[in-house]
Amino acid sequence: MVRRAAVGAVLAWMAAQAVGAAPAPLRLGYSDWPGWVAWQIAIDKGWLTQAGLDVKFEWFDYSASMEAFAAGKIDGDCVTNGDALVMGAGGARNVMIMLTDYSNGNDMIVARPGINSLKDLKGKKIGIEIGLVEHLLLLDGLKKQGMTQDDVTLVNSKTNETPQVLASGQVDAIGAWQPNSGLAMKALPGAHPVYTSAQSPGLIYDVLTVNPASIAAHRADYIKLIKVWDHVVSYISDPKTQDDAVQIMAARVGLAAPKYQQLLAGTHLISIAEAQKIFVKADGLGSLYGSTQIADGFNVRNAVYKQPQKIDGYIEPALSAMLP
Amino acid sequence: MARSSLFRVLRPLSPRAKLVIGILSFVLPVGLWSLVSYVPVVWHPQIMITDPGSVSYLDDGAHLARDAYDSEVAAAKQEGRAAPKGVPANPIYLPSPGEVLRAFYTSFTTPPETKDGQWLHQSLWHSVRIIFWGYVISSLIGVPLGILCGAYAAMARVNEPFIEFFRYLPAPAFGALMVAILGIYDGPKIAIIVIGTFFQQVLIIANTTRKLDPALLEAALTLGTRSRQLLTRVVVPAILPDLYRDQRILLGWAWTYLIVAELIGTTSGITWFITQQARYQHFPNVYAAIAMIGILGLGTDMLLALLGRHLFPWDRSLAKFA
Repeated sequence: MVRRAAVGAVLAWMAAQAVGAAPAPLRLGYSDWPGWVAWQIAIDKGWLTQAGLDVKFEWFDYSASMEAFAAGKIDGDCVTNGDALVMGAGGARNVMIMLTDYSNGNDMIVARPGINSLKDLKGKKIGIEIGLVEHLLLLDGLKKQGMTQDDVTLVNSKTNETPQVLASGQVDAIGAWQPNSGLAMKALPGAHPVYTSAQSPGLIYDVLTVNPASIAAHRADYIKLIKVWDHVVSYISDPKTQDDAVQIMAARVGLAAPKYQQLLAGTHLISIAEAQKIFVKADGLGSLYGSTQIADGFNVRNAVYKQPQKIDGYIEPALSAMLP
Repeated sequence: MARSSLFRVLRPLSPRAKLVIGILSFVLPVGLWSLVSYVPVVWHPQIMITDPGSVSYLDDGAHLARDAYDSEVAAAKQEGRAAPKGVPANPIYLPSPGEVLRAFYTSFTTPPETKDGQWLHQSLWHSVRIIFWGYVISSLIGVPLGILCGAYAAMARVNEPFIEFFRYLPAPAFGALMVAILGIYDGPKIAIIVIGTFFQQVLIIANTTRKLDPALLEAALTLGTRSRQLLTRVVVPAILPDLYRDQRILLGWAWTYLIVAELIGTTSGITWFITQQARYQHFPNVYAAIAMIGILGLGTDMLLALLGRHLFPWDRSLAKFA
């Protein structure tokens, strides 16, 4: 009797969970990257509600957010353009509808003291997470020096462990994004960047990518959301409000505001006006199409997936284009 | 406490010795930790910079390996520049007990900084709820099934080969699948705890059931007990104290799956705190959070042990070492 009641209680509770998880109309994933933490400003200031939106931002670990999207449990997710392809190739159809930012220095190849350029890395060991964006960044840098991956030895390392890997002295350089790249320089004083994403802006675009079915159902909402994003960008860029903006973002990740300011500096946030230019079809890193094409080639070469993806199907410029 | 009275095979200690040695088991590691933290000659392989002097790449609070520091100082002296100054320090991943204690206090007293943020005790409570439900769901099925497998050879043969196979599959590997089935909130987290606990539970409880004293069964049969009564009137009451102890151990088992479970779906609970603090290398906070889990786990277990002594006063093995 007691047990039956207990089972009943558990079932009722699980049912309540299922109902509790029932949609707020839009659920979007975001994680710890300055360009995405910026959404916190819109959340804390209540701009989403003011715009008449019923959007719930869910905080994830980055890879967990992609899992949730792939499982169809969220409408959209903040990812890099390269990872949007990875999700799509795995069967989770998605369309990039807006740009949040591109990395402008936060992604780095950090070398130990004594190594002053990428050229010095010839024949040396580099700790990097193979197949991820830093790997792409390194190849891009090496190419500019007339070198290839064969000129260096890659040591597969988890990005969040790269600070310790560099400090251990077992590699001569590492590739990592912030905060790991900054921590690596702190862990080994004198270590410094020899190549950063500021030297190839647009190699890594960060986007909001959305389930195509959700776009069809909520088109107007997404347009409103993009408009809110523009407000966020201007709130962060405006010197008058920047301090408040940084305060909110720093609080979200548990960091002191002055430290967060540095992370923000390596991220170039993209307003609607700028996004409209990047959404124009072209080769090269100035266009989301060109950048994504390069990421696709990289993914296929590194066997992240086998079939090259049809880039056009992944990009939907129309929503951003609707706005003035 | 002569040596001879301490080391006798399978003999209980005197209450005083039990208390003293129990306290020592905490004092020793913490003492060692304090020694390494507060006595510079013991380890302190790095120098924490207090004044960068003329070395451009150093700043206050930077940690530098001792030999690198020495060579910078030597170079500066030779060239007549201002030498950097610093004090011996341990690497940042080994904070001192004092720092961890302070972090323990401040992390509870710091209000959440974002509007939708949570106090630390709220996060902890969320984690406790995940564990509780995972454990309860696992036990509701695992305990009866374990007893049946222990009592009836046919049940054991039907279930155990598969369970033996399944218990080797790492629970975290089911993360993405559970998200797909149960969503992004607490469902998949609880499921991971269940997967991590259930299969061990069935096997352990089946084993406990098999260890039942056959004399009890024979006596009951002689007195004319029928098969079903044998299970409910003899087997279950006889194994209850051992079952209770198994359940205590399994609860600890459930706790070990907490961190992987909470990384699945939306980040929540104490794991959110630990991973976020570790990402920015705030190690005192990380250690403090780990200590909280330890205290919660040990506290629950001690309470349950105490309760066990009241529930099963006839069980000698509980009193002996607990």
